[in-house]
Amino acid sequence: MDVLGRGKVVATREDMLTYEYDGSADTASPDAVVLPETTADVAAVARFCHEHGVPIVPRGAGTGLSGGAIPVEGGVVMSFARMARILEIDVPNLRAVVQPGVVNLHLSTAVAPHGLYFVPDPSSQKACTLGGNVAENSGGPHTLAYGVTTNHVTGLEIVLSDGTIARLGGKAVEDEGYDLVGTFVGSEGTLGMVTEITVKLTPLAEDRRTVLAAFTTMDQASETVSAIIASGVVPAAIEMMDNLSTQAVEESVHAGYPLDAGGILLVEVEGVRDGLEDARERIEAICRANGASSLRLAATALEREKLWAGRKGAFAAMGRLAPDYYVQDGVIPRTRLPEILRRVNEAAASRGLRIANVFHAGDGNLHPLIVFDLRKEPDALRRAQEAGLEILAACVEAGGSITGEHGVGMEKNCFMPLQFRPDDLAAMRRVKDAFDPAGLANPGKVFPTPSRCREFSLGAVR
Amino acid sequence: MTTRLEPADADECARSLAGASAERRSMRIAGALSKAYLGELRATDVELRTVRIAGVVDHVPADLTITVAGGTPFAEMAAALARAGQFLPLDPPHADRATIGGVIAANSNGFWRSRYGGVRDLLIGTRLALADGTLARAGGRVVKNVAGYDLDKLVVGSLGTLGVIVEATFKVLPIPAASAGLSATFARAGEAFAAADALVRGASRQEAIVIERRSGAAWRLHVGARGDRPTVARAKSDAARAVADLRGSAEPADDVASRLVALRELPAAAIDGALVRAALPLAAQTAFAESAADLDAFTTLVADAASGIVRVHLRGDDDAVATGAVALLMAARAVGGSGRVERRAESLRERIGAWDPAEPRGHFLMKRLKDAFDPAGVLEPGRSAVG
Ligand SMILES: Cc1cc2nc3c(=O)[nH]c(=O)nc-3n(C[C@H](O)[C@H](O)[C@H](O)COP(=O)(O)OP(=O)(O)OC[C@H]3O[C@@H](n4cnc5c(N)ncnc54)[C@H](O)[C@@H]3O)c2cc1C
Repeated sequence: MDVLGRGKVVATREDMLTYEYDGSADTASPDAVVLPETTADVAAVARFCHEHGVPIVPRGAGTGLSGGAIPVEGGVVMSFARMARILEIDVPNLRAVVQPGVVNLHLSTAVAPHGLYFVPDPSSQKACTLGGNVAENSGGPHTLAYGVTTNHVTGLEIVLSDGTIARLGGKAVEDEGYDLVGTFVGSEGTLGMVTEITVKLTPLAEDRRTVLAAFTTMDQASETVSAIIASGVVPAAIEMMDNLSTQAVEESVHAGYPLDAGGILLVEVEGVRDGLEDARERIEAICRANGASSLRLAATALEREKLWAGRKGAFAAMGRLAPDYYVQDGVIPRTRLPEILRRVNEAAASRGLRIANVFHAGDGNLHPLIVFDLRKEPDALRRAQEAGLEILAACVEAGGSITGEHGVGMEKNCFMPLQFRPDDLAAMRRVKDAFDPAGLANPGKVFPTPSRCREFSLGAVR
Repeated sequence: MTTRLEPADADECARSLAGASAERRSMRIAGALSKAYLGELRATDVELRTVRIAGVVDHVPADLTITVAGGTPFAEMAAALARAGQFLPLDPPHADRATIGGVIAANSNGFWRSRYGGVRDLLIGTRLALADGTLARAGGRVVKNVAGYDLDKLVVGSLGTLGVIVEATFKVLPIPAASAGLSATFARAGEAFAAADALVRGASRQEAIVIERRSGAAWRLHVGARGDRPTVARAKSDAARAVADLRGSAEPADDVASRLVALRELPAAAIDGALVRAALPLAAQTAFAESAADLDAFTTLVADAASGIVRVHLRGDDDAVATGAVALLMAARAVGGSGRVERRAESLRERIGAWDPAEPRGHFLMKRLKDAFDPAGVLEPGRSAVG
């Protein structure tokens, strides 16, 4: 491809292999892979693709869990690995301006000397990029109190699929006219590419308390979550793990999680020192009232880090249980936790599958992980996907959503009709057509596609 | 003659829109008409009011969410929440009259935005009646949800130009146990804004950090805090320290809450002259405020200093008001922010527009969205900054 010059194009089939995968179970081969270094590069590739009717699939670090970065309809994969500079740390305005390839954790590390951080902290934050975060509207354990990516982005530079460059928003909290920044965040690459991001920076909390509470049953842990939410204490994080997750994590991280608990909660409160002891006592009292079998307060920063390393390393630790996993991301109203968790476990058990639950309980955002070994059970993925669908149907039935943070991608686009009626999808379609009339921006994602969704019958789960 | 419509429910509302689209009859979309001054108002064939599409649809206190019909008065929702010990952490102007749909469509925020988020951050689901008569849901009733595009964000601030909000779901919070406040005066703008800035960066999360200036008077800072008792006590002492560090003099603070309410209602009170509203990068506020206070027509400035939203009320002869307003819009744009003339007297309507004559960033995309949602162009033609 002459558009960019040799060094910015991945040349060999072999080198292109890594771009066939992301964190999900889907794969597909790109026709070409490009590595733009500037917005002008991005626009040039887009113009070329537009002229030739070729799809463009933006890609960050490829940690996505819904197949968003997979070129399901072929075309050019555009990796943002070389647009990874922090352009400006604007302390007076509490903003940073970054390129999309900047790794999430690198930003928080870079601004830490100023007593600031970027709030969204996906468990993948050591690898995932801010471009990916914007595209997925990612969350993380600590987005319970302060909001997910969309609540922390005020400006974008985007390149449309025809090569048009547009600046949206800026450093102020809002801009005149429609909120295009808010509309673009979470669009999964289907409205165009992000080439620059202006984010809010938030002052680090003065102090925090991290409590690990163990329960005999998951029901008790779930009831505790509801009780904490209702009490008025707003923790920075409430994460839940079941016994199988705890076992896997403990083996790999040695965080000191109790191995005999049916369910554990990791609850963190932060803020000024003055209120923290009160908040901790209230939380511990609620845990006890709901039958906590043990309570442990992280006594040192190191201990706290260990507890969090365990939680954030949970997906990776599943490798201890089995080589493959399939994770879902449904959301439910928090009061329905006990009941839906039971249905989640039944959905797996009835198909002979092992399931671990490790998730953002404070938001009602489930992450059931079904673990299996494809070499030994070649049809396990199919059964896991069946169970996944049943779980998502239960979430929607409870008034929830099929995805809280991982996105729809190509993994759940056929499931969109579970949650949205045709008129709802038609309204979203208008947005798609306004940004990407040619349909070349990451096609085959988010919206159900007739070719891939035909065999899939919603009748079966409704 | 304008036809008045008050549809009884979402379906009837959708049918009214379809009818207007088919007959190409232009429509004003209104709730309680509390913000009828916003934007460029052209005469329309139809005035559709949402007031009958009202009531709490669903409130599960333990989930901390509430779903209400679009024409529900904000105050009615607040009362329903209060009965359960909860509140929507939003303090919009006209809270006594405004409807929920109007608050969303006008992106009507108060001073609590930096503490709890604004309309766009608290809104988690909507149901929209679209110009073609379809009803579309976006978002949902759960606090976290990334399925599909975030159409909720698109309607916030759309001023009725994309559709009618017939239902909305918000995240809510338990009412905090304690509150406190503080007011102080400063000799210079720089000191008042520096004190505010220290609080924005400080450990305590204040509920409101507001700067007020009236023509001929000192710069005043008002700080409000709510939460549990220990954090509120700390917030108050942090505020007192910031004031002292910047040589401000603290005033008796018993009625800070009611002062903040009065300041929040500046858009309701500013019926003469022009009210300019700017959204600025935080650090640009001081210079903007200083130059505003120097204008001939300057009377009042109210800044949500934690969010960079600054309102300036100009009064006096129309020439001076118009010149001042244009200067403020330019100043806002020059620092990368944006400005609008939020309200202006009848006599000024022809002289100054509601919107900055420079197109908003991404205007061509806004136009395309408008065309996609309202191809016949019947919804509030010309009213918003999109045109
Ligand atoms: C172990 C593990 C833990 C995880 N934990 C969390 C978690 O706690 N919370 C959470 O929300 N997610 C989590 N994820 C999911 C994933 O990390 C996030 O979705 C992340 O934001 C993806 O970033 P990425 O750079 O890897 O993007 P990719 O996977 O490369 O791409 C994701 C999507 O973004 C699009 N995209 C990427 N860059 C751009 C760009 N510049 N412009 C336009 N579109 C672009 C792609 O087309 C694709 O649709 C986890 C994943 C793993 C593997």
